[in-house]
Amino acid sequence: MSAAKHSQAMHFHARAGENVRNPVLQRALQKAKPLFVGKRAKGIAALADDGLEFEMLRTACEGIRNRTLADLDVWLDIFEERAITSGAEVLWARDGEEVGRLVVDIARRYGVTKATKSKSMLSEEAHLNEVLAKAGVRPVETDLGEYIVQLAGETPSHIIAPAVHKTIEEIEALFAKEHGRPVETRTSADIPDMTREAREVLRQHFLSAEMGISGANFLIAETGTAALVTNEGNGRMVTTLPKVHVVVTGIEKIVPTLEDFATLMRLLPRSATGQTISNYVSLLTGTKQPGDQDGPEKTVFILVDNGRANLLGSPYQDMLRCIRCGACMNHCPVYFSLGGHAYGWVYPGPMGSVLTPLYTGIENALDLPHASTGCNQCGSVCPVRIPLPKLMHQLREEQVERHLRPWSERLALKAWAWVAGQPVLYRWLTRRAVRYLNWLADDAGRIRIFGLAPGWTAGRDLPVASGRTFHELYKARK
Amino acid sequence: MTAKRDILGRVRGGVGKGDFAGRRAAAEAVLNARLRGPQPTISDGLIERFRVKAESLASTVDAVSDRKDAPAAVAAYLSANGLPMRVVVAQEIESLDWSGCAIVSAARGAVDSDQVGVTACFCAVAETGTLMLLSGPDSPATVSLLPETHIALVDTSRIVATMEDAFALLRAEREAVPRAINFISGPSRTGDIEQTIVLGAHGPCRVHLILIGISS
Repeated sequence: MSAAKHSQAMHFHARAGENVRNPVLQRALQKAKPLFVGKRAKGIAALADDGLEFEMLRTACEGIRNRTLADLDVWLDIFEERAITSGAEVLWARDGEEVGRLVVDIARRYGVTKATKSKSMLSEEAHLNEVLAKAGVRPVETDLGEYIVQLAGETPSHIIAPAVHKTIEEIEALFAKEHGRPVETRTSADIPDMTREAREVLRQHFLSAEMGISGANFLIAETGTAALVTNEGNGRMVTTLPKVHVVVTGIEKIVPTLEDFATLMRLLPRSATGQTISNYVSLLTGTKQPGDQDGPEKTVFILVDNGRANLLGSPYQDMLRCIRCGACMNHCPVYFSLGGHAYGWVYPGPMGSVLTPLYTGIENALDLPHASTGCNQCGSVCPVRIPLPKLMHQLREEQVERHLRPWSERLALKAWAWVAGQPVLYRWLTRRAVRYLNWLADDAGRIRIFGLAPGWTAGRDLPVASGRTFHELYKARK
Repeated sequence: MTAKRDILGRVRGGVGKGDFAGRRAAAEAVLNARLRGPQPTISDGLIERFRVKAESLASTVDAVSDRKDAPAAVAAYLSANGLPMRVVVAQEIESLDWSGCAIVSAARGAVDSDQVGVTACFCAVAETGTLMLLSGPDSPATVSLLPETHIALVDTSRIVATMEDAFALLRAEREAVPRAINFISGPSRTGDIEQTIVLGAHGPCRVHLILIGISS
């Protein structure tokens, strides 16, 4: 599988350790988390002013996504037919490599030397920037966060805030180098100036690129339309100014009607950034019309599978409802301890812990389904009610069934299962174990260092229990 | 062609149902039913709600009683903000008397050097304080995109409650969707450097709305 080649998810353990000890990253993450959580909470609470509530809306959104997936073959057929009728071309790609080949072909056909890009996570799945550069096409990321990440030679660490891991000092160093000026001392007060500087540089790219590449937040079957939701306006630029517009998006992104889209838009921006609506919502259909002074002469949709179709009808189908809002990672204690790069592939956080093993192979991302405290904050904020902790559990079960767990864990579980089947031995052992734990505790009733597995208590204390087993306590009560 | 066949084959296998023609007909019926999800209850008047929401998204709002008064309001805004009296306007509002208010207007698509773009809008959405613009020969998408200042004339009779209502209006008045429908809610913004919100990322830094049909 091509995706597995690029995944670093097997190094999760090592990267997690490095990231926890990286003070610069930790500072950036600690600054961001309360902002994400607070903004969403405010946005969701404001629904009540209009007589709406979150649970009612998420039921509607979940229903739209489920109904589409239940007949996805039909909706794809309708979307393709209507997109073609409106003047677009529709291509299909089985995997990331095929996406790269198709985009390079289009670039060659239209003599493209530079492509401006609006944020597309699928183009990360396809390593499109790398492929374009090799083919002699300069890819320019234009979302400010993506631009920063591209200058740093990195990948996004968050699906809606790609540069959340970068501090202002790091960004200043990147801008000074790329924009050919000396490094200055920058504080938060300089952020408007820095944004202005990037605006001026990127404006020239917008005007000169021959091709614009975007993703799509949704594909609307009714009209054969790509829906693009942005705040910066870069999405509008790359779909208005270049002569060719290529939409690279997953086959699961379809919604049937404009009304369905309007319903989903009541939760997507609120879940992502707490906004009631994003600044720009663009619905793009076909190409430049007779008499139009702007717009692309050529519009191509590339509908990508890359593992998605296999989830239909599988125990993981719920994951295909995902609308990429980022709320799950914004509320995840694991994500905010490690940052997005620890996850090793395109999608971080809880949704990444489910998608990465499914799209790159369960055996290539063994740690990710375990990167969870089981707190279910992700599940409770998901606007399309994806049971993320349950899906991670299923993946863990599958690891066990396929004998993918380490031998030590398998042996320990076998031993446990045997002991649990011997009542006398079980009682004798557990009596000793709880007394040992009780003996470890300090005066405040907490275990500060757990001798058998000190890692567990490196960053926290373990509250101690009574020192008696459940059987003993139960007997005493009678 | 083979990629399409492969992918659709897998999708069909996953969906696991037969009778494609029957399901396709059912889907067409869904498209024609245009069912709406939960709708907001908007208690203020639509115009007031639109104004409050637009201002909360950092747009500024002015009002005039008649369309012919719009150029004077534009001129007042330009001089109050130290902007040049030279604007690019969408052709659909080219016939207003711009020169009578000492404004030099060019009716065309915008270019990089244009500092102020003036447009009308197809309609506006009260729920979120949003403009709905349709691209077309008389309303190029660049006029609301490239200049740093975007001024939009909003007919108050065209303010609807929700995005769904806006789509209903579109279906009633147009035969097909245009190349681009742009919903615009205030100036362009970014929060990508340390999650600090800055206005004027790539699109306009200022959005000024002139409501038409409000007698003073």
